[in-house]
Amino acid sequence: MAQHQVNYTQDGGLPVALTTIDKVVNWGRSNSIWALTYGLACCGIEMMASGASRYDFDRYGTIFRASPRQSELMIVAGTLTKKHAEFIKRLYDQMPEPRWVISMGSCANTGGMFNTYATVQGVDRVIPVDLYLPGCAPRPETLQYGVMLLQKKIRASKAGKAQKPKRLM
Amino acid sequence: MRKYTPKKDVQAKSYYTDRFWVAPQVAKSPVESDATFSEDLAAIKEKFEVLDAYIQVDQMVVYINAKDNFDVIKLAKEDLAYTQMSELSAIDWLADKGQFEIFYQMLSMTKRKRIRIKCFIDEQEPILSVEKLFRSADWSEREMYDMYGVIVNGHPFMKRILMPDDWSGHPLRKTYPLIGDEAAAWYEVDKIFGKEARDVIGPEIRDTARIDRYDTERFSRLGHEVPHGAAIPEGEPKTPLAYQEDGGVFLIKKFHEDDSVIITDRDR
Amino acid sequence: MQDTNRLRPFFENIAFDRDDNEVILNFGPQHPSAHGQLRLMLHLQQEQIVKAHPDVGYLHRGMEKMAENMIYNEFLPTTDRMDYIASSSNNYGFALAVEKLLDLEVPRRAKVIRMMLLETNRLMSHLFWLATTALDIGAMTVFLYAFREREYLMDLIEDYCGARLTHAAIRIGGVPLDLQDTFIADLKKFLEKLPANIKDYEDLLDTNRIWLMRMENVGVISTDMALSWGCTGPMLRASGVEWDIRKEEPYELYDEVDFDIPVSDKGDNYARYKVYMEEMRQSARILDQLIPMYYETTPELMAHAPKYISGSKLDIMTQNYSLMQHFVLVTQGMRPPVGEVYVATESPKGELGFYINSQGGPYPYKLKLRAPSFWHTGILTDLLPGHYIPDVVSIIGTTNIVFGEVDR
Repeated sequence: MAQHQVNYTQDGGLPVALTTIDKVVNWGRSNSIWALTYGLACCGIEMMASGASRYDFDRYGTIFRASPRQSELMIVAGTLTKKHAEFIKRLYDQMPEPRWVISMGSCANTGGMFNTYATVQGVDRVIPVDLYLPGCAPRPETLQYGVMLLQKKIRASKAGKAQKPKRLM
Repeated sequence: MRKYTPKKDVQAKSYYTDRFWVAPQVAKSPVESDATFSEDLAAIKEKFEVLDAYIQVDQMVVYINAKDNFDVIKLAKEDLAYTQMSELSAIDWLADKGQFEIFYQMLSMTKRKRIRIKCFIDEQEPILSVEKLFRSADWSEREMYDMYGVIVNGHPFMKRILMPDDWSGHPLRKTYPLIGDEAAAWYEVDKIFGKEARDVIGPEIRDTARIDRYDTERFSRLGHEVPHGAAIPEGEPKTPLAYQEDGGVFLIKKFHEDDSVIITDRDR
Repeated sequence: MQDTNRLRPFFENIAFDRDDNEVILNFGPQHPSAHGQLRLMLHLQQEQIVKAHPDVGYLHRGMEKMAENMIYNEFLPTTDRMDYIASSSNNYGFALAVEKLLDLEVPRRAKVIRMMLLETNRLMSHLFWLATTALDIGAMTVFLYAFREREYLMDLIEDYCGARLTHAAIRIGGVPLDLQDTFIADLKKFLEKLPANIKDYEDLLDTNRIWLMRMENVGVISTDMALSWGCTGPMLRASGVEWDIRKEEPYELYDEVDFDIPVSDKGDNYARYKVYMEEMRQSARILDQLIPMYYETTPELMAHAPKYISGSKLDIMTQNYSLMQHFVLVTQGMRPPVGEVYVATESPKGELGFYINSQGGPYPYKLKLRAPSFWHTGILTDLLPGHYIPDVVSIIGTTNIVFGEVDR
């Protein structure tokens, strides 16, 4: 059997990269954000468009999952009504930690143009939100930029620690 | 002194109307001007009392007594070939007359005509369901009950349809304000967190133009983020927006703002 | 768990103590293939549905209430958010209803542009329908292809009005803008490719075994049932009734263009699929005929009715009375005559009707939106029993319901 002798000091260096656990974990987390399909209204269509042919979300490692248990990002795309509020909380509670929430569009941010009896005036009354995307409806580019900002936020966080409880309103 | 606002109708009102302004009317023509409609009306008149009938914007409007609603619609469906019920709803006249106006919008595909059958009912007076004739009335009547509180007799499943079951009030009544009442304002908080969380979460922000200068974490202050609760009477410090984190990403060159070139020469 | 809450689990699924085999399945309100926020309570005997109970209202935003508190022009952008897949058709329905109330005549060029927008929206809606239904059934390829074509159409619309999804491109009394210089050329380019694209989809799907198994003889709606449930549009036409409002009660210039109404008497999912595909071809045909019609018109875009409609930008900027009238119309709103009107238009989903009761004030006294999807959701009550669980998704797919419109 042939014995291979590799001189690590000369042949391209050690096959080892030195880094911190934080960086490795966050590198993995930030580049495989699986999003829960939470299309509620019009913004949900733009969310689908960002996942479809032209805007192609898979490039970011963002894949839409239909189950809260497999996803770590909830993109609340659309108007949250009072009747639905209960369910968004249920689904949010089912997501494993660490988890993030993007509130997409004016309706999800503040109730938007629907200043009525039936609309929750911002999803942050029910679940904590990490990122607010303005627009009615935001373009797919906005959502992509939002996901990139979220990646940045993830990379800046400590990987090992449990997430701090996020502030609700 | 507080401004007087009528409680019976809290919807938006025009803030200025000229003293001498008289509202024009959409033209009404007599039913006799259309052959098909006059035949239909004659058939209805034969058996039932018709209070008023005219043609407005190409459609016949027939006012009947509320007790006849099922029979008239049955006649229209079976004998007059109005085979589809497009729409059914109520109009709130409680402030003026103490009544609801119910309208049934019907379509005949063979005659290519549309008629609207209307009747008035009192606030607590039930009306007979037409669900046996048109299945489409099933959901419309539920919606009418949900939105106006009109009680429908003989309906198989009389429950709220659009609002949750434990909702209070009927939203489309003129007495119901656009942004909802007290119960509506706290509905989701009470349901999810309980009444004791009201103080923590706080009231809804209904002022669409409100900007909280001291809350830069939440909304629309990109580039000016300060920690929550920090005092910023002297203005917020500007946080330069960087598209990449410090330390950089593998294989990606970091862009420094100092390296950027501002092109002034248009022909470059 | 980050915040304590008082939500308790639902127990309707855990019915071990029942003596029959019935299982209650809760589908939604946030289900990826429910096309929005539909909640279905399904009573199952093994895999077969014995009772279905659709629960809607999860997207009820109170649009009718908003309409009562808004001046007419203010409400127009809100209609975008009803059927958000084809926004312009809602704008148009509302604008037409108010125009009927005001008795306005729209200039011919505005009519042509409106029809172009309407048909583009119909294509967008049908392409979106094809994409999502195919995705629900498992045909990912068709989803990507159909979205690719849809993006071209959205670019076109964006060129015209600046928005991708919520256009607000049609105003009461006309349209705000003339077509861009490049619009017609781009449209022509798109229309040249479209037939080949539609053929591509059909090649992929028409004889596909899985597609046929999921579509043929599934979700059969009889003519009586369709009429009784108030079905309109492709749902009605696939059940054997030849009824298209564009043909029967023509509005705009639909009586001048030449197109066919696809009809099928099968009433199943596959029939609806074929109707949608054929309608896309017909829309392309209408668009083809509109291009020469556009060049024959004079560049007038808004109706002339100083009582109700603001003057042109040039007039407002140069003439005192136009400016004053514009100021009054914007701050107080137009006051239509006292009366009521019900106007139905053929939106991509079916008959979109607007009932407006005006009492002469700047706010409508009552505005009722007759959205086709509301009844297309209701029909699930009668349609689903007897089918199996996998059929639910394909049936919901072909009914083409949009929840902005169902719940309003």
